[in-house]
Amino acid sequence: MSPDGQSRGRKITPPDNIYTIMLTVAFCVVLVAVVLVAYKCYSQYGTFFSIP
Amino acid sequence: MSTLTKALIVLLTVASIFLCGIVVTYVANAENYRQKYTDLRNTAAAAKANEDNAKRQLNETIKQADQEKAKLNEVIASLLTQIGEVQAKLDAAEREKATLLQQVNSLTAITKDFFQTNDKQGQLLKNTFDELNRVQAELIKEQSDLKDTTTALIEKMAIVTTLEEKSKRLLEEKTELQDKLDQVLRQFGKTAVAPTAVTPTKDKARVAPAPVTKDLELKGRVTVVDSKNSMAEISIGAADGVKESMKFHVTRGDEFICDILILDVDTEKAVGILELVQQQPKVGDSVSTSL
Repeated sequence: MSPDGQSRGRKITPPDNIYTIMLTVAFCVVLVAVVLVAYKCYSQYGTFFSIP
Repeated sequence: MSTLTKALIVLLTVASIFLCGIVVTYVANAENYRQKYTDLRNTAAAAKANEDNAKRQLNETIKQADQEKAKLNEVIASLLTQIGEVQAKLDAAEREKATLLQQVNSLTAITKDFFQTNDKQGQLLKNTFDELNRVQAELIKEQSDLKDTTTALIEKMAIVTTLEEKSKRLLEEKTELQDKLDQVLRQFGKTAVAPTAVTPTKDKARVAPAPVTKDLELKGRVTVVDSKNSMAEISIGAADGVKESMKFHVTRGDEFICDILILDVDTEKAVGILELVQQQPKVGDSVSTSL
């Protein structure tokens, strides 16, 4: 992913930051989902794991 | 960074987005089972309470039904007793009705016999009145004959007196002739024999002495006149000496009205039937046993 590689093979490749962003987005999505599930569980059942 | 790593990153990202979308969608649309459980538990508790209440009401209803049944049984027993009493009364009434019907039939038969007997007695009374009128007519005729016979008897008695005088005179003449005959025969020393009568003598007929009678001399007044039945009531009765079958003469001044033949006598009055009616008697006319 260095500019040297593009110049040598002229192969168009996305920069490495895009994958970092994708991982960040995926993490955020998972985090939001976890937060939503946790909120739902706590608001409805009062606990996160055990069965009331 | 290797290509594999890049591919895994892309797949991880896509899979994370997809699975998280699914999870978020499921969690957002998931039902609140705790609330549902609570509602169902409350519903079950309410149903249980309703069941208990229904059972209690059922028991109370059964108890009330038993009490009502017991009361109704008592009422039924009382009504059965009353029915028995009423049935007994009905039987007694039926028996009394039968007895009364028998009595009514008996009285009807007695009344029928009484009417027949009354008719017979009426017919007999009518025949008796006819016979009485006939006998009275015969009596009047015999009284007339008796009067004629008395007149003839008086004439015969007068003839007998005349004949006795003739007989006495003939006896005197006979005695005189016997004296003369004795004087004549005495001159010749003879005497006359007493003559024997050719006709046998008989005893003289004698009049029987008349029975001694005494009039009662009862006097009274006519108090009631029943012209329809030819009946009359007088003011004297058994206390004055009036008796049944006694005959009273009704007069008004010097005028003969009729006779009353006494049929029934009371203490102070008497009732009789009118006979030989010359005029209709009135209340206040005099009655007496002798004219």
